[in-house]
Amino acid sequence: MRIRNVVQLHTVNRLQAFGWPLVIMSLSLTITLIIGALVVGVGGADARTGMNTGMQWNGAIFALLGPLIGFGFIAMGQYFPLALGLGLTRREFAAGTALVFVGNAAFYAAVVTIGKVVEVATGGFGLGVRFFDTFYTGIGAWWQTLVQTFLLILAVMLVGAAITTAFHRWGQSFLWVFWIGLAAVVLAVVAGALLSDAFRAAAMDVLGMAWGGWMVVIAGFAALGAAVWLTLVRRAQAR
Amino acid sequence: MSAIVTTDLAKHYDDVRALDGVSVTLAEHRIHGLLGRNGAGKTTLMQLLTGQVFATAGEMRVLGQSPVENAEVLSQTAFIQESQRYPDTFRAVDVLRIAAGAYPHWDQAYADTLVAQFQLPERRMIKKLSRGQFSAIGIVIGLASRAPITFFDEPYLGLDAVARRMFYDRLLADFSEHPRTVVLSTHHIDEVANLLEHVVILDQGRVLLDADTDELHDAAITVSGRAADVDAFLAGREALDRTRLGGLATATLTTRDGDERAAREAGLDVAPVSLQELFVHLTTASATAPATAGADPATDVATV
Amino acid sequence: MLDDSKPLFVAVAEQIEDGILDGTYAEDGPVPSTNELAAFLRINPATAGKGLGLLVDAEVLIKRRGIGMFVAPGAREALRQRRRLAFEDQYIAPLLREAEQLGISPDDLARMITKEFAR
Repeated sequence: MRIRNVVQLHTVNRLQAFGWPLVIMSLSLTITLIIGALVVGVGGADARTGMNTGMQWNGAIFALLGPLIGFGFIAMGQYFPLALGLGLTRREFAAGTALVFVGNAAFYAAVVTIGKVVEVATGGFGLGVRFFDTFYTGIGAWWQTLVQTFLLILAVMLVGAAITTAFHRWGQSFLWVFWIGLAAVVLAVVAGALLSDAFRAAAMDVLGMAWGGWMVVIAGFAALGAAVWLTLVRRAQAR
Repeated sequence: MSAIVTTDLAKHYDDVRALDGVSVTLAEHRIHGLLGRNGAGKTTLMQLLTGQVFATAGEMRVLGQSPVENAEVLSQTAFIQESQRYPDTFRAVDVLRIAAGAYPHWDQAYADTLVAQFQLPERRMIKKLSRGQFSAIGIVIGLASRAPITFFDEPYLGLDAVARRMFYDRLLADFSEHPRTVVLSTHHIDEVANLLEHVVILDQGRVLLDADTDELHDAAITVSGRAADVDAFLAGREALDRTRLGGLATATLTTRDGDERAAREAGLDVAPVSLQELFVHLTTASATAPATAGADPATDVATV
Repeated sequence: MLDDSKPLFVAVAEQIEDGILDGTYAEDGPVPSTNELAAFLRINPATAGKGLGLLVDAEVLIKRRGIGMFVAPGAREALRQRRRLAFEDQYIAPLLREAEQLGISPDDLARMITKEFAR
């Protein structure tokens, strides 16, 4: 198995694989810090407490997570044709790419976790801001953030790869089915929430479930994405 | 030994028969030409042989094994395709680095020489390269990989005549030193005719001709002279091509033994038919003739 | 450069023969290798090899294992003899055919040849 070559395929351009996400994250963090400094400088202690609470929902971390969401799409859309063109097998590509997905998720989860530990320890970098310690990355203990970001990143990459592979296989008609299916689910949930008290109560129970439950859900999505992707990629053809 | 053997190989896309019952044998350590008009099935055949796409029907053996998902075979196979896509963020140097790891016989020093000779800007984003520079990436990989089986599918789109000649020279020199099986698909038939030892012409997904180039030299002739003499000489035989200008006429026909002498004795001028001309005549005849009759001139040639 | 009215390997052989006749390749001297010939003429090495093989079969060239191909002793004279035999067929016959079409008598033709020869 030439897994090493596949890993190299994804990482040969270091600036693209690691440089840009970290640069963009740093920029985004800098902006958050500037905002924090302005708020604390102008509004004082009260404003600082308010900001700290509000920033639980600070989505600036998506400057890092965003590019990773695209990773799954790009892996299948752009790297797969080149891998085949260079004589790598589908099996080799799938194994190597899965490894890269896991490695990516672990690396960036570690980055976020370290950031969170520093952020918490320094009281929001001395400014009371939240960048790493947010709802999306987990506001519990550090190890929860590590697990949560790892699973989240892995899940989006696998689901992204699965969607792209299915799109290559069935073309536009897959997208139609996919979007219609998704719209149907959303519609059903909205309708249920509006029309049925029992549904609303059940939904609140689900939304309010413990952290562990959410992790199982995310892991479930990751497993589903992996199953679909690995099944389809073995029969995927160059276009 | 045969490098490649296919038996009744077919690839259908929905309602398109891209390849339909192709049986060819390509001997090892030779330069084969794979010719055909656009859409004839050349790329599809090479995609099948390199496991890029899956066959609808039929058999294929590359180096004695099925190439499908076969790392042992595919690491011995380089496929340089005109339409190869590269990741948006890639530079040529990135691709070459991966190719170096993927092909066991890769020669990095040779790759560096080729990069310099073809003036390939290694560190520029591939999507910003000119068409010719884009083609140069494939040429470098195809040559430096030293793969026992190398497919070149229109390897030099956008390259000028100087760079094309450089490619032929490099190919010949490297082929002499490191014999391997080369399958070359191109529209520049005149330019490569002397490089090829064997030719397969595909037309509408089928094999129209499969022959050694030495044999093809005598496969067809063009006779010209007075129209009446040409008509008398043809005596109802099917010509691949006929033109008439006033009292003069020319006709191109697949030859049988003694045709050339007979034509000269009939007072006609006889000229050889180049591979390029033969290709044009054969594919035109097959496109214009009714389905059944169209196969005749081809089988005539194929059995020389 | 190569005569395209003949199969390529025959044209290759004839080009070597021309070289032997005009002294480019001396008797007992080496001739280009298959690969050199292929690169120089931009042709498939197998075709070049076939051309050289033709000359080995005709005993114009001799193969010395591990060293290369050499012009056989006496090859030049033998080639000259063979070409002379073919001369009538290849050159005189078409010349006469054309002369007849143009109404040039054999005597006129002879005079023209003598005159051209003197130049």
